[in-house]
Amino acid sequence: MIPGEFDYHSPRTLQEAVGLLQQHGDGAKIVAGGQSLIPAMRFRLALPEVLIDINTIDGLEYIREDDGHLMIGALTRESDLEESALVQQKYHLLADAARVIADPVVRNRATVGGNLAHADPANDHPAVMLAYNAELIALGPHGTRAIPIDDFFVDLFENALADNEILTEIRIPTPGPGSGGAYYKVERKVGDYAISATAVQLTMNGNTCTAARIGLTNVSAVPMRATGAEQALIGKPITNEVLEAAGQAAATECDPSPDLRGSVAYKRDLTRVVTKRAIRQAVERAQGG
Amino acid sequence: MSIGISPYRVDASGKVTGAALFPGDLTRPQLLHAKVLFSNQPHARMVRMDTRAAEAVPGVIAIFTAADVPVNEYGLTMFDQPVLVGVNANGRSPVPSDVSRWEGDQVAIIVAETEAAAAAARERINIEWEQLPLLPDIDTAVRDEILLHPEHPAQSNRYHHYKIRKGDMAAGWAAADVIVEGEYHLPNQEHAYLQPEAALSYVDEQGRVTVEIAGQWTHEDQAQIAHALDLPPEQVRVIYPAIGGAFGGREDMSLQIVMALATWKLHQRGEMRPIRCIWSREESIIGHHKRHRARAKTRWGATKEGKITAVEAEVYMDAGAYNYTTNKVMGNFHLTVGGPYEIPNAHIDSYAVYTNSVPGGAFRGFGAPQGCFVAESQMNKLAEALGMNPVALRLKNCYRENSIGITQTPLPAGVSLPQVIEACAAKAGWQVAGGKWQVAGEESPNLAVSSPPISQSPISNLQSPFQSLPPNPATLRFGRGFACAYKNIGYSFGFPERCEATIELYGAGSVERVVLKHSAAEVGQGTHTALRQMAATAVGVPLEIVELVMSDTAVTGDSGSVSASRMTWMAGNAIQLAAAAAKQEWTDEDRPAIGHARFTPPATEPLNPETGHSTPNFAYGYVAECVDLAVDIETGHIHLLRVVCADDVGKAINPRLIEGQVEGGVVQALGYAVTEELVVRDGRVLNPRFSTYLIPGVRDIPDAVESVILEIPDPRGPWGVRGMAEMPFIPLAPAIAAALHDATGVWFNEIPLTPGKVAAKLRDA
Repeated sequence: MIPGEFDYHSPRTLQEAVGLLQQHGDGAKIVAGGQSLIPAMRFRLALPEVLIDINTIDGLEYIREDDGHLMIGALTRESDLEESALVQQKYHLLADAARVIADPVVRNRATVGGNLAHADPANDHPAVMLAYNAELIALGPHGTRAIPIDDFFVDLFENALADNEILTEIRIPTPGPGSGGAYYKVERKVGDYAISATAVQLTMNGNTCTAARIGLTNVSAVPMRATGAEQALIGKPITNEVLEAAGQAAATECDPSPDLRGSVAYKRDLTRVVTKRAIRQAVERAQGG
Repeated sequence: MSIGISPYRVDASGKVTGAALFPGDLTRPQLLHAKVLFSNQPHARMVRMDTRAAEAVPGVIAIFTAADVPVNEYGLTMFDQPVLVGVNANGRSPVPSDVSRWEGDQVAIIVAETEAAAAAARERINIEWEQLPLLPDIDTAVRDEILLHPEHPAQSNRYHHYKIRKGDMAAGWAAADVIVEGEYHLPNQEHAYLQPEAALSYVDEQGRVTVEIAGQWTHEDQAQIAHALDLPPEQVRVIYPAIGGAFGGREDMSLQIVMALATWKLHQRGEMRPIRCIWSREESIIGHHKRHRARAKTRWGATKEGKITAVEAEVYMDAGAYNYTTNKVMGNFHLTVGGPYEIPNAHIDSYAVYTNSVPGGAFRGFGAPQGCFVAESQMNKLAEALGMNPVALRLKNCYRENSIGITQTPLPAGVSLPQVIEACAAKAGWQVAGGKWQVAGEESPNLAVSSPPISQSPISNLQSPFQSLPPNPATLRFGRGFACAYKNIGYSFGFPERCEATIELYGAGSVERVVLKHSAAEVGQGTHTALRQMAATAVGVPLEIVELVMSDTAVTGDSGSVSASRMTWMAGNAIQLAAAAAKQEWTDEDRPAIGHARFTPPATEPLNPETGHSTPNFAYGYVAECVDLAVDIETGHIHLLRVVCADDVGKAINPRLIEGQVEGGVVQALGYAVTEELVVRDGRVLNPRFSTYLIPGVRDIPDAVESVILEIPDPRGPWGVRGMAEMPFIPLAPAIAAALHDATGVWFNEIPLTPGKVAAKLRDA
């Protein structure tokens, strides 16, 4: 199909972009990599009156560590994340996810910020950032503010950004000693959305889990944490029974819809399986495996 | 000799550089644009149609409907489909024009100055429909509460029936020591060619209505257009530019007739501008036929020594709304549902049923993949029940020279199936010792059933492409499966078979330039390259001096379709005859020396309606495949580690193209067996795009596909050639099912083997 008609702007600065947002309100949409928005426009699921293309703004593509955080510019391409030595060395959960977001061609264009701002539970970064307890930095007419990831996903395709705010940066706390993470995703074919996937970031003291955050992909209407699974781990030694309990908890607390990827029963069971596998891998990494 | 070597494809550079023009790339000055309106009604009668608001859209030139079609019917094997569904048809076709039987029935073609104007007008055509009872599936349709085609002499939605009555079934069951049975379900499959349907049409300088389009048989397109427009065929011209894949999906009409209709009608009004139409992917998937969904119940008996004694089968095929080639496809299912085996006693009934679903039609394998899945699954179940090696069991029963086929006549000479099975098994790691097929190096006769070790990478290194991390080794299982097949080459059941070729020799003392004129459609398989190689060899000149003039009904003769794995076989024979004629003229000192030939193979026969007795085909190809796979029993994911495909091609004209066909066929069959799932509900395709209909991508394909190319000559094939393009597709699905059983102990009687279905069945088992 042919998209509806729209006006197009390509601002050179963030301030200019925010100005345009202020001018056009909720009739405007920001386009970054365009890998979700353009298909939605083709199907006329999205009919923005104004498109603000931020690809022309300099300084939004970076991956660097600073002040105990990994800072990712919102316009950073998924492929840059995938190739980053820093990410591969210290952010295993993020590295796992970066390799399986869509397919390589999409990853060359798609951006980390877009993946999050789209607030689609089928996307991979929401679960990853929930597990990392990331902060998202937004710029509006009155300056910047930090939004905790737990507050960011409001509803399906709805985030906590105001109409006149733009997402500029993602901050991930640098994992401390004894911590490890993993992303376990299962898809029908390479490049498809997850049938189910689990993001785990945890800290171990010996064989005891002292902290854990777990995010789930594509098994709920809004990106979600598996807090029941987290509780099943925290303060416990990691045994097969504990793993199974955490997997069962995730299977129970998720809320998948039946579709071409599988029935509710299959998705729940798969959530159990991928949660167990992700935890096991995260524990091995935390213990230096 | 220019055959047996692998020169670059004649179309390689154009396709690599982008210079090759596909139908959607074609343009002419002052181009008009067309859109087709689908009914979007699985079953409804049109009460009235109002095009006035659409015609008022600025830029609209004309809108054509059923009332404009001279003879409002078409169909490859029977005229059962209106060109345009609608009111006020002229009544020259017995097919009721006002009923939409499928959501993809076309109701109007809109011609406008721009695509946007045509699209806007399409949305302003007002139609009132009276809903009719929906027949979404076989079970509903066979009740005959309403006839989809009251004009059909069968007077039933179950409109076609084939039988096999061979031997004495009571004696067959009495002789059986073991009996295995199954009910199998086979899905639709979308062709998923890269290039969606598109066409450019105009009236040429000689007054012929001309359509440039991607098809599989220029002269059949020409005949269908001529019939519907009530024109003599020579007033219609069909040209094929570069074609982006076909696989059977372009055998039937898409834009051919409506584009010719619009062009011709506008021409009569003095509007001479050319018209182009390009379908979107969604329009392509909604608008053309699919591989038939089907089911079969069957029961096989065998002695404890492993000789088949009886085969009983009942087959139902969902034809969808129109016949297309269903009667022929079902004939192939019918011939293959007993496998390529000597069966003394057989009782088979096959039925085609009209429904309001997307029509079934030609698709690589043409009924044989469905028949083979049933037959080879039965054969593998027999092997298990008998405790026999699946290779040995096949060799004990398979067709060989002078075998009598299921239709009670001898197979055409040159049956090479035993050699094909042996070559595949040997490559996969079996060998004969002490008269038994067994694992290489293993002496114990007790191991006759076992498989050679699967050449698996260390489990820790097995990177499942479907998962972000390596699978859990504790939940991986490995299995191996075997299957074989036969498939006809060329048209079956008495359908008129022929192929024309013209060869022109230019020069004075010696031949300096050769021109081959031929209609073979280059759909990506490489036929132009192979034909050029055969022409050079037949004339006895270097490849470099052979030029091709292809696929234009104004200058090339009727070649028949590129389908049924027939073109190399048929065209090679025609080229040999044409070359001989041209060389005779050359000797007679005609310049240029022109040889024209029309080759006809031995005649075939329709199936006897009561017994199935016939000589249905004049040639066959033979294939065997062995699959090694890994399955994650918790996630249900299957990953193919290795596929060995042994295919007797008779003579490899171009070995590299053959390997391409093998690998392409295997990947396409992997999609059929595992990843692809067309969801059709209440007569509507719910996933008409590649984000939801999942064809395998480059990361999903088997780790290794090994082609074993055998060259056992077909006595009637040119240089011994056999057809081969469909064969690698056919046995893969049952080989995967067998390997999955080997890995898990569970039989799967249904495809596709999507992760959710596999996991659920394993959990229930």
